[in-house]
Order: sequence, then structure tokens, then C-alpha cells
Amino acid sequence: MRDKFLLAFRSIKERKARSILTVLGIAVGIAAIVALMSVGYGMEHAITGELTEMADMISVMPGEIRGATYVERGSFTDRDVSDLQRIGGIKDISTMTYDAAKVEYRNENVPIFVFGGDTKELEGFYVDPVGLKEGRWLRENDYKGCVIGDRVANDFFDEVLHVNDKLVINGEKFIVVGVFEKGDMLYSNDVDRNIFLTLRAAKEVLRTDEIKYIIVRVYEIDEAEGIAEEIEERINDNHGLDDFAMAMTMGSMIEMMGDIFNIIRGVLAGIAAIALIVASIGIMNTMLMSVMERTHEIGVMKAIGAKSSDVLSLFLLESSIVSLMGGVIGCLLGWVVAKVLSFLASTASGLEIAAIVKPEVLLGGIAVALIVGVLSGFYPARKASKMSPVEAVRYG
Amino acid sequence: MIHTENLSKTYRMGEVEVQALRDVNLEIKDGEFIAIIGPSGSGKSTLLNLLGCLDKPTSGAVFIDGINTGKLSENALAEIRREKIGFIFQQFNLIHTLNALENVALPMFFAGVGREARLKKAEELLVKVGLGDRIYHKPSELSGGQQQRVAIARSLSNDPEVVIGDEPTGNVDTEAGDAIMDILEGLNRDEGRTIIVVTHDAEIAARAGRTKRMRDGKVLD
Repeated sequence: MRDKFLLAFRSIKERKARSILTVLGIAVGIAAIVALMSVGYGMEHAITGELTEMADMISVMPGEIRGATYVERGSFTDRDVSDLQRIGGIKDISTMTYDAAKVEYRNENVPIFVFGGDTKELEGFYVDPVGLKEGRWLRENDYKGCVIGDRVANDFFDEVLHVNDKLVINGEKFIVVGVFEKGDMLYSNDVDRNIFLTLRAAKEVLRTDEIKYIIVRVYEIDEAEGIAEEIEERINDNHGLDDFAMAMTMGSMIEMMGDIFNIIRGVLAGIAAIALIVASIGIMNTMLMSVMERTHEIGVMKAIGAKSSDVLSLFLLESSIVSLMGGVIGCLLGWVVAKVLSFLASTASGLEIAAIVKPEVLLGGIAVALIVGVLSGFYPARKASKMSPVEAVRYG
Repeated sequence: MIHTENLSKTYRMGEVEVQALRDVNLEIKDGEFIAIIGPSGSGKSTLLNLLGCLDKPTSGAVFIDGINTGKLSENALAEIRREKIGFIFQQFNLIHTLNALENVALPMFFAGVGREARLKKAEELLVKVGLGDRIYHKPSELSGGQQQRVAIARSLSNDPEVVIGDEPTGNVDTEAGDAIMDILEGLNRDEGRTIIVVTHDAEIAARAGRTKRMRDGKVLD
């Protein structure tokens, strides 16, 4: 076997340029698979990781998600909230409200969404993941203080807003006590364009008692799904509708994300598979060329006593070595590309995405390369082994 | 011993059928040195290919040691080529990616001889044909005569009973041709091997123990 391997390797070495190109063709295909899968895993981990940190939370909204849009059906009542307090297993309930308000700064008027809620709950929800670049977060008694999102500070007015600037929201004066960092992909919609107030201040300026959003925290994460169902049932009963409220646990959000990622991974694998098919045609072409070019040599080998199976195994070994080299180089290349891609994706999305290069993806990559090599080498190898020695010797 | 019975070979070239060999009956005894001569297209090489089990007859049969080779499988024919016959071609037919030593060792590789044993024997054979100082040279670094001597060494690597040469001196100068014939004569005289040589050079043929003349696919008496 060692001798056959050496003989096959010698012939690969003799056709250096063509062998390198074939190896490269496979390497690119495998690198595409490894890189795309690893970045996919990294993205999934980054997003579900952030959600997992909030696994004890249930978001309750008065409406439903249809396709990609949220359709609001109204608002919650105080009775809804007091009913929720009677459900067992709930640690904490916090209510929030939001609406558009007229915001004035130095004689400039802009409509902006104002968000009000329990300051501790909002802190855990938004300040911890996004962070503040200036000032501090709201305290429960900050009736005249507000914290603004990055776009509110930088884009909405002619001048950039800072801590201690004064805003007039629906006619009431507020002082900016903090400015958010720019939110990443997950948070930019919820944070960047909003102004945050205490619940009491928000109810006052928005002149409403409407509750638009309830965050429930449970003691036991395992019970979250059951509690979410009970929440929906109670609130739907109160409003006489089957689908008034939507209570989503982080678990079901993670599950939803998982489905989306399965689709994304499928698409990425499809793209990589196309690259691989191109590469395998490359191997077959190289091996066929090699068989044609070496017809004479095959004839000589048979004339001096090589069996068809000797010729078949020699050519198969050659294509396997080439594809194995392509597989290994492809894995290394894929690793590097995954790191670069995840760095670029992190920069673009603001989300910290670290490519996860799983050993099974690497081993799979090498295995796929080998299978592709053997399969696409088989036809040329068989063609070579079937040659009649006298015709092959005469050739060339 | 090799003998043929009504050996015929027909090639199809497009629409035309070419009868390269017609009812050839030939007997070659063990230890004989026979030269087959004749003009181009007379069927010499076709006959040699059939005797050497490189090709199968259209009709008739080749018997080697009493076995009808036409009835053998591809693998069995490969085994005969490997164990019983050494082939020398006009074009040398060395494998250009391998050096002289590796070329000579190649038939032993296919016969499953271990690496050390076959390299040792290959070196001995190269010394025997006078190329002891050229064992690591590739074919492209050797002259025509030297390449043919490597090919002779290769043909002897599995210790065959029969050595078949298809115009073995056809591509080398007279001096090298003489040297090659000296080697072949020695193999016949000293080692008792059967030598079958095809040539159209009468001088070469004269060195054989027996000469057979061919014309139009037939062996003349």
C-alpha cells in the first residue's frame, strides 16, 4: 500500500501545476462549507446566547405577529395586570407603555416614541446589553429625567444632544440624564429611536393609563411555557377574544430563531454544495485528462503485468490524495475565512459574533472532500483500468 | 513451449476490415532464439502482441505451456505477462516519471515483491546490462541504447521464461544495437531463456538460431 501511495504521489508531483489547481478547486469548495457553517453557528450562538440570558422572562403584548409585522389589537387594563398577579410561579410583573410624542429641542419639533416602564426592569432589558455612552440610567424618582437613544441624540435634531440638555416632551420639560450607545442588530429598533422615562412620567406626558407591554419574570424557567399559556388565556378571557394577547417566552423565541437559523444554514450549505459540485467536476476533468495523457503509460503498466485492479486503485488513490489535500487545506482556509467573515459581520451588525468552528464540521469537510474525490475519480480510473494494453501502448 | 493454431487477427478501421494475421501455425520450443522478419505491415507486431498476451486473437489460439491463452481471464493474462513473459518495445516504453531503478522494479511491484527485495534485484539487473552507474537516472537523462538496456533489465525482473522483443534495436544506433543483441544472445545462451525477436534487419536476424519470414499476415516456410 505504501508503495502504491508513493507511486500515486509521484505522479501527482510530476503534474504539479494541474494538481495544485485541482487541490485549490476542492479547497475552495470545502472552505466555503466550513466558513459558512461556522459563521452560521457563530451567529446563532451570539443571538440565542443573548436571549438565553433572559430565559426567565415572558413578554406579553396586546396583539400578534403576522409574518414579520406586529399587529397591535389594543392595550392591557389594570384588571389584566391584577389577574396576572394571581397566577402562581410569577416572580415579578412590570408594565410599560409607549406612544409617539411631540419633542422639542431649541425650537425644533420632532415626533419621537416615548417609552415608560419600571426602571429596574428596563435597565435589565436595555441598559445591560446596550450600555450608556454618557450619563446614567433613570432612577425610580427621576420624574423629570430622560435617557435617549443614539439616533435621538445624533440624528433627529440639528444639534447633537448631550447629558444635561433640556427637552420638552408634549409640553413638559425633561432633562437628559443619559445617552445610550448605538444598539446592535437586536436592539437598534427598540433603543436608538426612543426616549425612555419612568412609568409615572410617561403616563403623565402621554396622558394615558394604557399598558402596551408587560414583562413577566418567573421563578422556574421550566414553567415559563405553561405560565405563558395561562397568561394568554386569562387576558383573552378578559377581552372576550381568542387571540388578543401574545405571551412569548424566551424559549419560544429561541426556538423561532432556531428555525430561522436552520433555513439560513440550509441556504449556506446549498451555496457551498454548488461550489463543491464545481470542484468535483474539476477533479473528474483533471483525472480524465490525466488518464488520456497517460494512456500510453497505462498500456505499459498492463504490458508488464499490472492487473486492471492495480490500475484502478492507482488512479483512485491519486484522486483521493488530491481531494484529501484539498479537504485539509480547505478546512484551514475555511477556518481563517470564518474568522474574517465573523469579524466583518460583528463590525457591520454591532453584535459580537465569533465564528464557531466545530470539529465535526472540519471532519465532515474532509470526509466530503474524500467522498467527492473517490466518486469523481472513479469514472476516469475505471476507464483507465479497462484499456486494452496493446491499444494503450500503441497510443502516443 | 509456445505454439499457435490457425491464429488470425482482423482489425476494423472504420468501414474497412484489415486482416493482419491469417491462419498462423507456429511452434517455438523452450530455449529457442527465433527472429521473425518481414516488411512493414506483414503482421510481425500483431503476432508478437498475441504471443505476448497483450491482445486476443479474432480466431485460432495461442498456447503457452499447453494453456490456451484465449480462454483466460484478464487477470490471468496479466499474471502470464507478469510471470512468464518479458516484453521489450521498439520505443523502450519506460515510465518517464520513474528513474531507471524504479522502472526495472515496477513489474516486481505489481507481482507483490517487497520494496527492499525488488530494489536490490533491480539494481543487480541494471548492473547486468551495464548500467550500474545510471540507476537513479530518469529515462530523459539516458541515451536510446541505455533506455533500451533499462527496458531489457525490466523485462527480466520477474525472471520470465520468454523474452519478446518488438524491433528492440529499431531505435538505437548500430553499436548500441549490437550491444543489445549481445545481451539477448547471452540470455539465450547462458540462461536458456526463449527469445522471440521481430526485426526487419537481416543482420540482426542472422544472430538468431532460427528465422521465420512473414508476408501479408502469413508465416512463410
